[in-house]
Amino acid sequence: MMMARKLPHPGSLVAFAIVALVVGGFLALATVGGEKPTLLSIGPYLWRILAFSIIQAALSTILSLVLGTALALALARRRFPARDMILALLGTTMVIPTIVAVFAVFAVYGRSGWMADMVSLLGWKDSFSIFGYPGILIAHIFLNAPFVARILLDPLNFVPAEHWRLASAFGFTPAQIFRHLDWPVLHAELPGLAGLVFLLCFKSFAIVLALGGGPSRSTLEVAIYEALKIDLDFGRAAWLSLIQLVICLTLTGLLTWALKRPPTSHTVRGLIRRPDARDGRLIILDTVVLVAGTLFIAPLALSLLSGLSHIANVIDADFLQAFITSIVIAVVAAAIACILALALASAARRWRIVLRSPRIAAFYDFLPNTLLAVPPFALTAGLFLMARRLADPSSIGIVLLPLMNGLAAIPFAYRSLAPRLLTTEERYGRVAASLGITGLKKLTIMDWPLLKRPFGAAFALAMALSFGDFGIIALFGGQELITLPYLLFENLGAYRLDEASAIGLFIVLVAFLLAYVSGRLSHAGD
Amino acid sequence: MLVIENCRLTWPDFSADYTMNVKSGALCAVIGPSGGGKTTLLHMIAGFETPESGTLTFGGLDLLPLEPAKRPATIVFQDHNLFPHLTAAQNVALGIRPSLRMSNDEQALIEEMLEAVGLKGFGTRKPGEMSGGQRQRVALARALVSGRPLILLDEPFSSLDPGLRRDMVQLVGELRRKRPVTILMTIHTPEDVADLADQMVFVADGRVIASGKPSAILHGSLAPRIAAAVSDT
Repeated sequence: MMMARKLPHPGSLVAFAIVALVVGGFLALATVGGEKPTLLSIGPYLWRILAFSIIQAALSTILSLVLGTALALALARRRFPARDMILALLGTTMVIPTIVAVFAVFAVYGRSGWMADMVSLLGWKDSFSIFGYPGILIAHIFLNAPFVARILLDPLNFVPAEHWRLASAFGFTPAQIFRHLDWPVLHAELPGLAGLVFLLCFKSFAIVLALGGGPSRSTLEVAIYEALKIDLDFGRAAWLSLIQLVICLTLTGLLTWALKRPPTSHTVRGLIRRPDARDGRLIILDTVVLVAGTLFIAPLALSLLSGLSHIANVIDADFLQAFITSIVIAVVAAAIACILALALASAARRWRIVLRSPRIAAFYDFLPNTLLAVPPFALTAGLFLMARRLADPSSIGIVLLPLMNGLAAIPFAYRSLAPRLLTTEERYGRVAASLGITGLKKLTIMDWPLLKRPFGAAFALAMALSFGDFGIIALFGGQELITLPYLLFENLGAYRLDEASAIGLFIVLVAFLLAYVSGRLSHAGD
Repeated sequence: MLVIENCRLTWPDFSADYTMNVKSGALCAVIGPSGGGKTTLLHMIAGFETPESGTLTFGGLDLLPLEPAKRPATIVFQDHNLFPHLTAAQNVALGIRPSLRMSNDEQALIEEMLEAVGLKGFGTRKPGEMSGGQRQRVALARALVSGRPLILLDEPFSSLDPGLRRDMVQLVGELRRKRPVTILMTIHTPEDVADLADQMVFVADGRVIASGKPSAILHGSLAPRIAAAVSDT
């Protein structure tokens, strides 16, 4: 009797396809014709941009962590009427796309920005240049400090009520409260957060491209873009990509290791008042932190509101075309991200629970994170070189753009879907196996009822990420393919700040709406 | 003597009004249905809740103006008693000095307390490396080492299996015999403490419904209500 050949698991096919796509893309880039530079020949240039990438990322990370941690602690200790407004402000900055942050820096600290106006009113004529480190650091801190604060605030609030009562009962001083209650939480969260913020800043593209102020101030990501788009030096792009990949993969590996957190206890704290809230020195410190944080973040966030009065002026045929293109790309990218993440998470679940092989399951868990390390420009260029033999080069962009945005969103979709898939298997896996429910039936009957909300949340988040992204579109953007972030970049380049403010506001509103839907879906039913 | 007179607390959805006495050195078991106000009673004595009116004294000392840290009481909760980043010995040491700077005598005292609760040699372990019963023993050692004469045990053994729970109750009885402490212990299973407790109070709807000898409470007119409350939990 012939044995029926079993089809491979969809997750295995997806994993294979992703690995093949990445390896194939890089090989295509590395083997394309023309004079190939050696690592030695680009050595001095490489050291320069590598040093700049690391220094700006390290400074951005340290300053974002300091401000974010101080804000989180101040907000954890205090209850005051404007607290919810500050929390909303922090939440808003978390969904601001990088290109919109660039606009905000221009609008506040630029040559004709609010700050320049205020300084000139005081009679100080020396102009402050935002290009180089100042602009890059301001934009990175503006995007990342609120993210750090929001991420830290939840675990700080979830310290068990019993621990706070013990702190009261034993008369802990503010320093002892920090040591025994706050520090264990920070110690658990900060290494992972530091790694993530460093990775994001190290790979920063739109901010460094717009605010770098010259070729000497490039990250590897910008250098790869310039090699591809301006110099058409594919060999240099391949070398730079390989170096970025090695650094980011090492960092991702360390990040995964760091996220194995030391033990902390979590419960809902409810309305327990922290005993250190009454300490006079902490009241002064928290006031300074909250005022300084708000003065730094609020003008940048509020600068977007200046676009409100210009929205009517920018809505024309180009704007509508860009909006529709952005939405279509975001929907396709979100579908790619969620379906591929679901397949990978399903494979990880099978290896972990059914086949009891946690090491192979860990490979599926790690694969989405490696996508964070892959330089998107290099991969896109490699895939473009492969695809141009098969299709019309002018139409390849519209295929590669959602594909690359989708791949970039997989880590976030995976984080939303994988835990829920494990839960369904733990709850109903044996029942399903005993009833012979497998494959698509298992997905629809057993998984989907518990999965539909996180799937919706992941879909909305992936859409938000893609909608505001100014990455791959920088390679393909032009008259034939234009998205809203690209339109914003063009307006910024032409110093049309009124139009840029309106487009930026519109992008933020849509991204915020999508992030809000994602947040509602991910918390609903818990 | 612990004296509670007309201590009233009000929330939008719950109100409580406690009146009861406990003799110094007694072990008082507090029983009652879930949500009846047992934990609120202990939290009020510990200083985590402040009554709007009434008097609360222990040994003649007025407790109400005192912050939790200044009260002669210490508490053990059902869960989350230990700080997970500290060792068992450090968790016990918090009961002496939160700075954790201990003299040699204090170190010896901590070891002695750990030995008293059956955890000799466990001082360097962290809570994550201990069982639920062992963690509660550490919390008990901390309550004892603090030297405060009033110990509040808020359902400290509810999450343990019945055998271990009875062992722990016996341990509380033994420790009490060796030290002059007054203990208030909320508990879901009155039979565990019936032989050990000097006094039992039945708390429901935020009131002390009855107080007296355990046998009188358990076999008196409230027996059906107590049985219903126990089976409810």
